[in-house]
Amino acid sequence: MYDYVVIGAGIIGGFVARELSKYNLNALVLEKENDVANVQTLANSAVLHSGHNPEPNTLKSKLCLWGNKLYEELEEELCLPILRTGAYVVAHNKDEELKLLDLVETTKANNVTEYALLDYEDAVKTEPNLAKSITKVLSLPTTKVTYPWEVTFACMENAILNGVEFRKNSEVTKITKTKKGFKITINNKDTLETKYVINATGVNTDDIAAMVEEKVDFKIKPRHGEYFVLDKRVKGFVNHVLYPLPTDLGKGVLLTPQVHGNILVGPDSKFVDDKHRTNNTPTGLQYVKENAKFLADDVPFHQIIRSFAGIRATSNKDDFIIKESKEAKGFYHLAGIDSPGLTAAPAIAKYLVNDVMGVGNQYTENKDFNPIRKKNKEFGSLKYEEQLELIKQDPLYGNIICKCENITEREVLDAINGPLGSNTIKGVKKRCRAGAGLCQGGYCEEKVYKLIVRETNSTPLDVCYDGPESKIFVSETKVK
Amino acid sequence: MNKEIVVIGGGASGLAASIAAKQEGRDVLLIEKEDKLGGILNQCIHNGFGLEVFKEEYTGPEYAEKYIQKFYKLNIDCLLDTTVMNVDKTEEGFEIILSSKETGLKKITCKSIVMSTGCYERTRGSISIPGDRPYGVITAGSAQRYLNIDGYMVGKKVFILGSGDIGLIMARRMHLEGAEVLGVAELMPYSNGLTRNIVQCLNDFDIPLYLSHTVTEIRSNKNNRLESIVIQEVDGSYKPISGTEKNFDVDTLLLSIGLIPDIALLDNLDVEKDNKTKSVKVNQAYETNVPGLFICGNSLQVHDLVDNVSKESERAGKCASDYILSKKTNGNDVIKITAGNNLLFVTPHYINFSWTSRQTVIQFRSTSKIEKGLLTVTQGDTELLKKRLNFVVPAEMETFNLDIDTIQKENDILVNLEVL
Repeated sequence: MYDYVVIGAGIIGGFVARELSKYNLNALVLEKENDVANVQTLANSAVLHSGHNPEPNTLKSKLCLWGNKLYEELEEELCLPILRTGAYVVAHNKDEELKLLDLVETTKANNVTEYALLDYEDAVKTEPNLAKSITKVLSLPTTKVTYPWEVTFACMENAILNGVEFRKNSEVTKITKTKKGFKITINNKDTLETKYVINATGVNTDDIAAMVEEKVDFKIKPRHGEYFVLDKRVKGFVNHVLYPLPTDLGKGVLLTPQVHGNILVGPDSKFVDDKHRTNNTPTGLQYVKENAKFLADDVPFHQIIRSFAGIRATSNKDDFIIKESKEAKGFYHLAGIDSPGLTAAPAIAKYLVNDVMGVGNQYTENKDFNPIRKKNKEFGSLKYEEQLELIKQDPLYGNIICKCENITEREVLDAINGPLGSNTIKGVKKRCRAGAGLCQGGYCEEKVYKLIVRETNSTPLDVCYDGPESKIFVSETKVK
Repeated sequence: MNKEIVVIGGGASGLAASIAAKQEGRDVLLIEKEDKLGGILNQCIHNGFGLEVFKEEYTGPEYAEKYIQKFYKLNIDCLLDTTVMNVDKTEEGFEIILSSKETGLKKITCKSIVMSTGCYERTRGSISIPGDRPYGVITAGSAQRYLNIDGYMVGKKVFILGSGDIGLIMARRMHLEGAEVLGVAELMPYSNGLTRNIVQCLNDFDIPLYLSHTVTEIRSNKNNRLESIVIQEVDGSYKPISGTEKNFDVDTLLLSIGLIPDIALLDNLDVEKDNKTKSVKVNQAYETNVPGLFICGNSLQVHDLVDNVSKESERAGKCASDYILSKKTNGNDVIKITAGNNLLFVTPHYINFSWTSRQTVIQFRSTSKIEKGLLTVTQGDTELLKKRLNFVVPAEMETFNLDIDTIQKENDILVNLEVL
């Protein structure tokens, strides 16, 4: 019997799991995918918003501001990658300047204290490619950028270190209420029991809720967004997160410098029926290209290395839904977590665990809780002398596997064998960026699959791209 | 370690360049990131190599072996399994940082560098094909490597986007290996591969070629594997025409949509770029605007035939040797060579009159298929060359020679290809 089962190992599930591991209790995280951070956490802008934009006096407002501050505290503990970019929200004419002034009022009402209105002439000094059509910007210095995959790895690794269990490839297919709590069926097969359940399943939160509720009082309205990734050679093209003025559809198409030097362009925003399809569309990509021009001149679209799409778990309510189920006591929803969900994630976990569930009233504190998560070395980001030293300790740092991103054999082995290791091509890419560069794995994928085979004592026919059925090879050749 | 010449890359280009420089008596080091020499030739197990250089037809590995034997006979220094991490300019020449499992990180210096780093394949990301992002969309060269070197098939039902030579070769190869190859789509109204490959790889096996078509949708199954694609005909401005959709149920989409010179190592050097070749500009000695930095083979311009890579790289290797021997005079007279009508690009980009010792070989590609053409090379009012060229296609690089003694030092050279 578990005390808590968290369904979903995205960034929300990850932070909740870590928060729970601060107490003496049995917690389990279930993930239907073959990896953590594989749906919404996989595909988003990676921005830690200042909190300027939400409707004041909402959970979004409160938890975004709090979350932004929490990342500052967690940066060291969890070794989180954080890029302190600041942000500019841009206006192009008198009309938009008035809206920018309204946004300043919202910013103030949201208790964001650091902001400034700048004329184009001042803004362009720190952002030389800012579109010349821009007249004024709202500067938000506390806006940052992180790397959501690694944040999730950090939380889950730390939660596991502190006693939380994790099972991947475990889709919850049925939940029944029992006297003591809930019985959960996984993959239509195994069952387990728990006192409490936390529903952190992103786009699936309403479907999971329907397993325990007659009348689910919220509905996910999936909102699709598309992006381009520009090669890291564009580093410095923009230095801030650049936002257009927000609309009813959200924050609009952004230019976002990334932790590893790339720039993301996007997303667009459209409501879709299929919550599981993250396809790119000609119209979506075209929209992103056209709208990026309002932020910066001559966006280097010839440096595109990839496009992708994500689904936001927008709900029919305007705010985050963080509450106990009305029908099923002990069942908690974390639903409608769209933007600024990434920013708010650490605050959402604290708010849920402390304020909504009051875990501390029922369970004692885990005195052995170790808040520190150690990060693997990133060879390519070190100075020459540091690289020399590292290779002295471990010659495998001398073997370059991915030459676009300078990823070494040791880093790939860390990705495969680490505390939350992965034996898939995509899992390795998410952990150490082998294949994330200009040639998109054209050169290193072969080397990576061979290391996976060696490290996991498998054969090439066993190696998967992502899920357990996504084999990269279908057969041996006729003649070997 | 201090060398006269470091050659980066041990494929067809690096082998020819290092052999040529060594034969001129230079102190040469070749650096190769893989554990064997030969580069991409090793995975090209089909024949058709060597007709120009050896007057015989070899497979890729056989062709490479000819050079590798010569290379080892000449006792040229070589580092295998070694990746060049960085190249910087110094006062005397260059400083190179390299890395390997055996020796770790090392700095070496040299007076001259020959870049023969080849090219990489354009990916799905660079042309933004819409649709899902399943596994099974893979560059043709990677699939070729998995099949011919590693011995594994990437799929059973295959469609190919792009009629580049690797795509055509892979159509035949996958077919012979038992896969069902449903077709090849080419965006342009003409094929991008050699005519002989269209005939021998597609026509001989009844594999349809869809000209003026592109892939407009990619669908994944539940297991994140490619399930089907849609191709559509495109109009004159390459926009898909609605109503022309054709669906193919395939588990593999091979991409043969172009090769891009791999010049990432030049990031730290201020080398003048050419947007058309996606590489850098050179003079007739294959020297860039950075003195002592030479580039050749597919890292300079993507070739159709390996024979031409070898010949070009041999010339570049000799020029690097001349550079070391200070045969290059200090004259500063430089003129440009410009691509005129119907030409996609011309190499070299400059004639530098301080380099007079070697022949001047000009290469170009046309922008479209030209059945009857007239090539004219002019310098101001002077005509340097005029000849008829028939059946010029973008897929086949054209070559002609200029005698440097006939070229004046004042005016730029214009290369034109008129349609007759």
